[in-house]
Amino acid sequence: MSDMVVATRPAREGLWQRIWRRRTRNYVIAFLFVLPALINFTIFRYLPILTTLRASLWQYSLLGGYGDFIGLQHYRFMLEDPIFWKSLRVTAAFVLLKVPLQVAFSLVLAVFLRQERWILGVVRSAIFTPVVTSMIVVSVLWSMMYHSQLGLINSLFSIVGIPRQAFLSNANRALPAVTVMMIWKEVGFSLILLLAGLKGIPEVYSEAAIVDGANRLQIFWHVTLPLLRRVLMFVVVTQTIFSSQVFVPVYAMTRGGPLNATKVIVYYIYQYGFLFQDMGYASAMSIATLVILLVVSGIQMRAFRSEVEY
Amino acid sequence: MSISRLVGLGARKIIEYAIYLAILLIFVIPFAWMILGSLRNETEIFANLYPFTWHTIVPIEWTLKNYLDIFGLSPEGQSYGLNFQRFLFNSFLVSAAVVCSSLVVNTMGAYFFARLDFPYKNVLLVFVIATMLVPFQVTMVPLYIVVSSLNLEDTYWALILPWYASPFVIFALIQFFKEIPKELDEAAIIDGASYWGVLRHVIVPNAIPGIITLALLEFQFIWNLFYWPLIAISNNNLQMIQVAISQQTTQTQVYWGRTFAGATLASLPVIILFLALQRYYVQGIALSGLKG
Amino acid sequence: MNIKRLGRVAEGVSRRWFTWLSLVLVLALVVVGCAAPALAPPAEKAPAEKEEAPAGPPEKVTLRFLAIQDDAQLNAWKEILQEFQQIEDGKWSYVDIQFESVPFRELFPKIEASVAAGLPWDLLEADGPDMKHYGFNRVILPLGEYFTEDELKQWFPQSIEEGSFRGELYGPPMMQSCSLMMYNTEMTEAAGISPPQALADSWTMDEALEAWQKTTVDQDGDGVPDQWGLRWGQGTWVGDYEHGIFHRSNGEKGSPTYEGMGEDGVSFVGYLDTPESIEAMQFYQDIHQEYAVTPIEPIPNIFESEQAAFMVTPDNRIGELNRLYGEGEFSWGVTGIPYFVTPVCQTGSWHYGISPNTEHFEEALAYVKFASSDAGARIWYKHVRQLPANVALFNELPEYQEGGRQHIWFEAMNEIGVPRIQTPCYTEYQQMFAEAALNIQQGADPADELSATARRIEGLCAKYAGWNE
Repeated sequence: MSDMVVATRPAREGLWQRIWRRRTRNYVIAFLFVLPALINFTIFRYLPILTTLRASLWQYSLLGGYGDFIGLQHYRFMLEDPIFWKSLRVTAAFVLLKVPLQVAFSLVLAVFLRQERWILGVVRSAIFTPVVTSMIVVSVLWSMMYHSQLGLINSLFSIVGIPRQAFLSNANRALPAVTVMMIWKEVGFSLILLLAGLKGIPEVYSEAAIVDGANRLQIFWHVTLPLLRRVLMFVVVTQTIFSSQVFVPVYAMTRGGPLNATKVIVYYIYQYGFLFQDMGYASAMSIATLVILLVVSGIQMRAFRSEVEY
Repeated sequence: MSISRLVGLGARKIIEYAIYLAILLIFVIPFAWMILGSLRNETEIFANLYPFTWHTIVPIEWTLKNYLDIFGLSPEGQSYGLNFQRFLFNSFLVSAAVVCSSLVVNTMGAYFFARLDFPYKNVLLVFVIATMLVPFQVTMVPLYIVVSSLNLEDTYWALILPWYASPFVIFALIQFFKEIPKELDEAAIIDGASYWGVLRHVIVPNAIPGIITLALLEFQFIWNLFYWPLIAISNNNLQMIQVAISQQTTQTQVYWGRTFAGATLASLPVIILFLALQRYYVQGIALSGLKG
Repeated sequence: MNIKRLGRVAEGVSRRWFTWLSLVLVLALVVVGCAAPALAPPAEKAPAEKEEAPAGPPEKVTLRFLAIQDDAQLNAWKEILQEFQQIEDGKWSYVDIQFESVPFRELFPKIEASVAAGLPWDLLEADGPDMKHYGFNRVILPLGEYFTEDELKQWFPQSIEEGSFRGELYGPPMMQSCSLMMYNTEMTEAAGISPPQALADSWTMDEALEAWQKTTVDQDGDGVPDQWGLRWGQGTWVGDYEHGIFHRSNGEKGSPTYEGMGEDGVSFVGYLDTPESIEAMQFYQDIHQEYAVTPIEPIPNIFESEQAAFMVTPDNRIGELNRLYGEGEFSWGVTGIPYFVTPVCQTGSWHYGISPNTEHFEEALAYVKFASSDAGARIWYKHVRQLPANVALFNELPEYQEGGRQHIWFEAMNEIGVPRIQTPCYTEYQQMFAEAALNIQQGADPADELSATARRIEGLCAKYAGWNE
């Protein structure tokens, strides 16, 4: 704080004056800016989260209501539940496969698609279409494209002499298959965020670099990327969060199978809460997810910060 | 310029356009399959999958029946009381309301985090971001209990109020706001501008691409809501489009024709919105001028 | 102490002060938010007393009815409501119904959310096997005392069993179902097959397999059939209703395999994983993998778009074929359901339920009684065209009479129809069984899958132990 000296005050000062000192007043005004959002989060997000926390310590089912207080028993059960660990591994594999690939793709695409040419406008819109296409239709379509017998992909394979493969009904390939589909569906989402980020970078930088004789790759690596790091950090962190909560494609296409190969954590939580009648355990698993994600995104944010803060 | 260089340039152009075409095919064919699927007879949709031919995608017999059905204009649609125009209207109303309020509230919130001085601001930021980390499938029912104890269930408010502020948007706008040189608003403050004035006249104008992008993403997020309206809304007149589409699946069958037509209608508005906002994503003329 | 440090202390004080202020604010909000739900606890009202019937013209009453989104059903209920308002000289003319409809797969979660929030809905539509679950959790009211012996005789005994919990009726049925094997006559004729028309002559699984193999046609020899022999079950999903028939049918009547579950309603080891059950599920795997008469990954509308010759389905498929092709345009036939040892079709009753939160019990009960009576069932059938649960209605529908095209469903219902396993743990069971069946279909070892699944189900069902004692 540079104005620290100014902040010293006479020894005797009424409470009222203390409140209305300048910086204090600024705090109040500042707080008013964030207050509407905080009210929303408190009522519509923290109340449910606190309820979830509470439920994780009780025997609780939606239909049967609250039973006994059981402390940390759900959490202890979680440690011994092989399918919980399996679903964590599946989720981690999905995130580790999807996020880097998707971010890399959208970064490359953003650099090439940032200019104003009609053809690029068409390509940009094309990449955005899957983002808004209904998941019901997308999952039917991809199930048919992946189909072990009729699928388009297998038709292409058989042209070049590769035997037909099963994707969604093969425990080794189901998760990669779902991942590819989700990258296809969501690459447009991260693309437009990166495009908006690129738009904010003044062109003088790259022009100066061109004058200095830098080639395109050097410009990208040394000028564009560092300037884009905040938006990039945001995309990586939020994509990690959203991808670890993936639910709909699994719900609509594979239902967690085959052999739990696509049983991502949120699908397992859903099964427990709504179908196995144990919202208490589902809540405990959600709190665990919250903690894991908090750590992971904290690490990510730190990594991006230390890398570039000069 | 030598001829070989010219040939090289031509070859590059061809390769470039070939790549564009490949991207187009990969991303648009599924979409085209959906649109064309909505224009064919229901029995045709899955009848020509294999072997892959022209008619896998293009209808043999064109028909508008699916659209007449979902708008309640055909006898079948009428007897089933289908009314997709109403669902589209609801979705549009709710999405627009959320985007408008969210633009104000989240911009203010992001300005607070990006620029204003406040003790333990970072802790508060964690408080905001942490709201994204709990799977909605679990908080959904508690949220429903909150909403119904406020007597909001089965109203538009139930669809709007919980979403009028978004941690995702705030978090994103913070990044965009921080890119703006700090000297700009410090100068404005010295000139006697209030925080509000700085936000309006310095921050927002300099972050338009980011704000537009997030408005668009927020719009499509609300537009695509499925589980929340399903739980929160019981009165079918207030229902949103994605739920209406999934209602074409009953316990014994799927009305594929209506599903495809509904999905087509549901995706077009967002795409049109995206096309209209294109100019906010492109670089100025200067750089394109570099190209041959 | 210099001035600078003093400043830092002051800074610290006011900083802390503001952190506290904001914390208090947030906490206050939390408290307000917490208090709000606490102030409005879920309404737990006893059913309205009968004596309280209003003397003058009663005010308009709107019942909230939670149901599956199915336009035909909704149309039926609306017409039933119109009739209901006329009966007994318009005694119930003040009753109206607001339908709250959700897709089939989301009905159960929606009911759960409504119950958890304690909403005052009145009526719900419940799948037969879920009735035990709802009864166990007191989500619906027992209705036994409101129905006389004679009234109970209106419906099939299977329906009564499915609608009851601990021997008491919780909800009368709206319809029944039983899956048999329909076929595309053009395809069977082309293959020179004539499926048996009498229920008693139904094919065994091996005989049926022969027919499926004959109707699986791959003309260009590329390894992908142009026409498939079979689709077992409605839609594209796997579930207990149709797929549970495999293992139950491989046991003698009364054997553990046939029963599928222990008498205590929570034991599955020794019932689901018997050698007979494993053998049956091995066959289920073989029809996908070894004989390849049905695609491993399902194809939507495979029977309806003329890509498969046989389909195991209830008779609701007839209405769908009429809708797609026009009344009577699709030439279908029907034969009994194939079996190993004992012919089985699992019955699928749907029921009315009345919520304990209702404020209009009398009206809700009257509507349910009317809707499930002969008159209501008649209207229902007109719209939904599915096997009625109402015996009197059966006897007046020509298509179900001797010689009628759907007669065999009536016969099957009476002779081989058994309810699905009756336990409050059905949802858990159904979920786990479907996963196991899917894994087996896709190549997992049936013995391993079934024994692991039986054990897991028992773990999930332990919480209901002793429910039927």
